[in-house]
Amino acid sequence: MPDTTAHSRHHRNPFATRHTRPGAVPPLDDEGRPRDLVAVVASLAGLPQAAIVGPHGTGKSTLLKAIEVALSAGGRSAGHLRLQRRRDAVSLHAAILRARRGATLCVDGWERLGWPEAATARLLARLRGCQLVVTAHRAVGMPTAVRTGGSLPLLEAIVDRLPDHGGLIERADLADAFARHAGNLRDSLGDLYDRFERRVRRL
Amino acid sequence: MNPSEAPRRQPVVLVHFSMADRHYEPLQTLAVRYTVEGIDPRDVKVVERSVLWYTEGKGEEDLGVHRFERPGAPAIGRPLVGEFSCPLPLSPLSYEGLIVKIRWCVRIRLFFAGGRDFVSEHIFDLGDVPVAAFPGRP
Repeated sequence: MPDTTAHSRHHRNPFATRHTRPGAVPPLDDEGRPRDLVAVVASLAGLPQAAIVGPHGTGKSTLLKAIEVALSAGGRSAGHLRLQRRRDAVSLHAAILRARRGATLCVDGWERLGWPEAATARLLARLRGCQLVVTAHRAVGMPTAVRTGGSLPLLEAIVDRLPDHGGLIERADLADAFARHAGNLRDSLGDLYDRFERRVRRL
Repeated sequence: MNPSEAPRRQPVVLVHFSMADRHYEPLQTLAVRYTVEGIDPRDVKVVERSVLWYTEGKGEEDLGVHRFERPGAPAIGRPLVGEFSCPLPLSPLSYEGLIVKIRWCVRIRLFFAGGRDFVSEHIFDLGDVPVAAFPGRP
């Protein structure tokens, strides 16, 4: 996260995407404790394909990003791909065909693929000897390496790691946002963004 | 303690803008002078300096680099100082909105031996778009 200086006209909203996006906050478990990345990466060894499974906004992409960074440091990453639409399958298949044997391709948003594209990707990966680690909202026929879930302690731990909100957000706000958005952390952070904007403009 | 575990000193990047209020009009020339303190200048391999805008808000972010310079390696034994200038464009203008903001900044990025880097951003205003207010508020 860059060191940023601003002047009085600018309010740095600590809940903006640049502070909360995957990679900006380290991966945390459901209790809000830092995840043991070494153990997570070790648990993936030997699995040709594995999934990080959990509902919307519960930290799957953050964890996948951290796994990819850890694998890159060891020279074992074949890249990180974020699927946004079904036709991104073309890029996925191309990435698998380019991957070195034994490398790992991290794929965010596996459920965007239709059944034929997903089956083709899995077959290509097997033939190329390329490991797939994917995120999905529900089980996708691969072993589930990690299951994520939103919790209030996790939201509190994330907010504690964001830039200072100057006391404009209280613990009760976190609980309220978390309840309103049924445990979706991304939406809860969006809600807190709005509360911060409203309050900072009253100062 | 392993040397790699020793706490690293964080640099302090001071940027002096030619306009003291950091407010510039479109097509005006931005001129800045910067100083890096708090570290041994010999540890810095490269200093990148850029002028850019980015969006900040709840959704996807966007970014545009207006000016980018990567001068040669800093002179050994000299303090890390520098200056540069560039004309600013007509748009996008700085905007302090509710769900999205457009920010202009001078970004100084230091690369150290070993691959570590440090980024320091210094915001300024381009244009004079009023700050957005919540509906119903004066």
